[in-house]
Amino acid sequence: MKNLRLLGYLLALSLFIYSCEGSGEERPLGEYEKGLLIINEGNFSSRDGDISHYNFNTGEVQQNIFEKVNNRPFAGVIQNLVEDGDYFYIVSNTGKVEIVNKVNFQSLGSVGGNIDDEDPELIQPRSAIVVDNKIYIADYGPFNASFANPDSFIAIVNSPLGGEVAKKAKTSSRPESFHQINNDLLIACSAARTIDVMRIGVDTVGRSIEVTGTPVRFLEDGGKLYLFTRNSSTVFFHEINKSNYSISNTTEINISRPTSKLTLGENGEAYVITSTGWPDYNDAVAKISITSGQVIDASLYEGNGFYGLGFDYFDKNIYVAENNGFQGSGTAVVINQSGTKVKTIPTGVGPSGFIFKR
Amino acid sequence: MLLISLLFIASFSKEAIQTVLNTQDTVELKLVEVYVAPLEKYSFGQTLQKIDSRDLNDFQGQTLADLLQQRSGLFLRQYGPGMLASLTLRGTSAGHNAVFWNGIPINSPSLGQADFSILPVGGFDEATIHYGSSGALYGTDAIGGAIHLNNKNTFNKGHQTRVASTLGSFGRWNQLVEYGYSNGLFSSRSRVYRNTSKNNFKFKNLARAGSPEESQSNAAIQQIGAMQDLAWNIRANQQISTSIWWNKTDRQIQPVMGSNDRDRQEDRNFRAVLDYFRFTSSTIWNIKTGVVLDELQFNNSLNKTSQFLISSDIDWTISEKLKSKSGLRLNHVIGNLSTYEAKEDRLELYQSINYLSSPSLSFSVNLRQMLFNGDFAPFTPSIGTEWTFFKNEKNKFSAHSSISKSYKIPTLNDRFWVPGGNPDLKSEESISAEIGLNHVFENNDFMISNQINLYSMWVDNWIIWLPRGSFWSPENIREVRNQGLEYFTTATRSFGEYRFEFNGSYNYTLATILNNLSENDRSQGNQLPYTPKHKAQGNLRFTYKSNSAFVNGHWIGERYINTDNISSVAPYGLLDFGLSKSLTIISKVKATVGFQVNNITNNDYQILRLRAMPGRNYLININLTL
Repeated sequence: MKNLRLLGYLLALSLFIYSCEGSGEERPLGEYEKGLLIINEGNFSSRDGDISHYNFNTGEVQQNIFEKVNNRPFAGVIQNLVEDGDYFYIVSNTGKVEIVNKVNFQSLGSVGGNIDDEDPELIQPRSAIVVDNKIYIADYGPFNASFANPDSFIAIVNSPLGGEVAKKAKTSSRPESFHQINNDLLIACSAARTIDVMRIGVDTVGRSIEVTGTPVRFLEDGGKLYLFTRNSSTVFFHEINKSNYSISNTTEINISRPTSKLTLGENGEAYVITSTGWPDYNDAVAKISITSGQVIDASLYEGNGFYGLGFDYFDKNIYVAENNGFQGSGTAVVINQSGTKVKTIPTGVGPSGFIFKR
Repeated sequence: MLLISLLFIASFSKEAIQTVLNTQDTVELKLVEVYVAPLEKYSFGQTLQKIDSRDLNDFQGQTLADLLQQRSGLFLRQYGPGMLASLTLRGTSAGHNAVFWNGIPINSPSLGQADFSILPVGGFDEATIHYGSSGALYGTDAIGGAIHLNNKNTFNKGHQTRVASTLGSFGRWNQLVEYGYSNGLFSSRSRVYRNTSKNNFKFKNLARAGSPEESQSNAAIQQIGAMQDLAWNIRANQQISTSIWWNKTDRQIQPVMGSNDRDRQEDRNFRAVLDYFRFTSSTIWNIKTGVVLDELQFNNSLNKTSQFLISSDIDWTISEKLKSKSGLRLNHVIGNLSTYEAKEDRLELYQSINYLSSPSLSFSVNLRQMLFNGDFAPFTPSIGTEWTFFKNEKNKFSAHSSISKSYKIPTLNDRFWVPGGNPDLKSEESISAEIGLNHVFENNDFMISNQINLYSMWVDNWIIWLPRGSFWSPENIREVRNQGLEYFTTATRSFGEYRFEFNGSYNYTLATILNNLSENDRSQGNQLPYTPKHKAQGNLRFTYKSNSAFVNGHWIGERYINTDNISSVAPYGLLDFGLSKSLTIISKVKATVGFQVNNITNNDYQILRLRAMPGRNYLININLTL
């Protein structure tokens, strides 16, 4: 047994030496460097969020790759999977961020998740960004008695590999996502309906810009920076002036009951999930044009339990995540540009998004 | 008095031949006990298991959930030590078993289930498990079976005082004080208890990089309660008895690993029952009234339900061979939940018949119809039979069989929760069949019994909450087939003053999902989540004079965490060991001192995924009676 372990160690060492000696191009491909990563949010009660990997060449699917690689469950509800440098930041809205090696998903560090803490570092993190070797984590903060989040904050960690939260900076209610521009961080806050501006290094919110609709996230398309917001009958694309961050132009597209699930396509087009709500709860994928402000097809594809969207620039297919009512695992339905189902890929529990590594 | 006693024995006599699991208990019946109408009387063809009173002693102040998990073949979904625990009987869901306290149903009408972690051992005197579908006998919820908790009071015992203390690891301190007085006409017993635990056990936090060992926090429990039993023999043929139980459990809710929730829950339960019995030479007439008030406060959200019950039935011994019970039960339910208010009346009519065609062949037929909110619940009939087909001095072989229909009306939350409650839900329905075989061998100093049950059940209109836009809503959507095997064995062997006893059980449970919820659902043919296929349990007890020692083990197989059956929680087995000694301190003061080690091998295990459980831990019991 001991010998086997020694052998394994030597083998690993030799690989390490090999990869150090070889040039960048010759380095063997990490297991998850290419392919499709599927974010599975997981059930809130069982905290079974994890990532699935789909191999485009072989069609092979691996479920729960975090658990598989690290021999422990991820143990959270995945809100976001943020890629930065060599790392993925897996953001769990149950109060932690785990940092893994981007190509093999080996755990490298974490922020929060300490059950001992009477005063937890993270409460409900939503997204993260790395700037100047520091992690900025957008956190809703605690709910108050009326389920509002008046004490939202940005948690700042002084190492890209995690550790203790060094500072918490107050933001407007419910920060959802970041965009780095100039020497500033723009923060989309959904409850406050603002863009908060934080000067990097100063690390406090200097000002808030009010917007129409509920902010979801920032988008870059055709050299322009947009903030995507929505209400029950409209999606808004607020074009942001890149020097003073004012809203220079807004594209409004009237579409019934859009959700926050949107993905950019090509040529200024985007896809968004709509849901009829009570009593039928029929979901659809709508194709819209940000450029023309028109709905191209209000129901490119229809179904139930749509929970995430992705666009594959390689073959122009659209990936629709179906959550199967959170009763067991979900499915990624791949449709082509005419809305025809091309294939399905089994996912984990509550699939909510895709990252394409072609 | 004599009349009462005779009827008492007559009404229990069926169990003597029904199952060896409780044959011994019939012997314990004394002429001086307060009469308890046996809810399980008309149950030929099914299995009842009475929890050993020594097990109740070993678990003084702990949860009924812990007792059933460690000492029975049943599986409980426990969210941590002392945390929410729901029972799955024969592979059904948490709400698919009826729970009775002194004959009144105590499942929460809003949740449709009981939390077995807030039923402390010591809050009742006996516990009986009824295996199998028994809706015709008990009403709503009894799809997988039923649990009966009863108080057992006595006359003619004079003054009695009992002080029971348990000290244990992780800040456990359970304390109970009881005083009773009874003469031939009147009996009173009062009980107060307080059970606390800090629950700050060490565990490996799998949710953090490196899985560091941490101390559990936010898991402390404090429970207090009081109980009062009264009984009067008001005439030679009439008796009144009452029990009142108030229990408050204040808990920090142990967070799942990797989360920093700081939830707190307080459960306040008040239950009272008043029975009037009138006995004639061939009938027992019972009027029962009951009140069940439940308050559940989760953080700042308060949910209250009230049940007011009245029932009346006549248990009639028509002849040696024919017995009948006819009755009705009215239950007025009021729900004051955090998001809605609801009221309803539930009326049930029931009829039970026992027919003993010969001393070795008996039948039970049960019929029940419930009306709730003006709607008919499914009509539930059942028929069961028991046949002793071989009997000699040492051996007895018997077989039993039953077919029954059961139902569960949708809970108040299912129908009225805002948002999402679905008032159009139908009742969940089941059809179940079982057969069983029982063998008892007995000679002077050796006894062994073996029983095996096979069952098959089909449950339809199973209610599942599904996400609907921004909220979840329940639907009658799932269809499940439950099949399985239950095996029970008991053996005792005596060598003079030495005595060995073994009790064991094994349950094999298949709970198969029969339908997919949607085109892309892949759950058809899979096992229901958190329903282990295998559970085995065994208890070996050695007694010498007033000393005893036991080793107890249970092993629970893999539990899938989802209907996709991809991820599961690892199987685990736990071994416990205990010693106890009885002594007489001074003439009238008797003491029993016990010491237990639980999870001897210090296994790191979880019952539900990411819910930490404690390693090796210790308990000391001291029981004084005077």
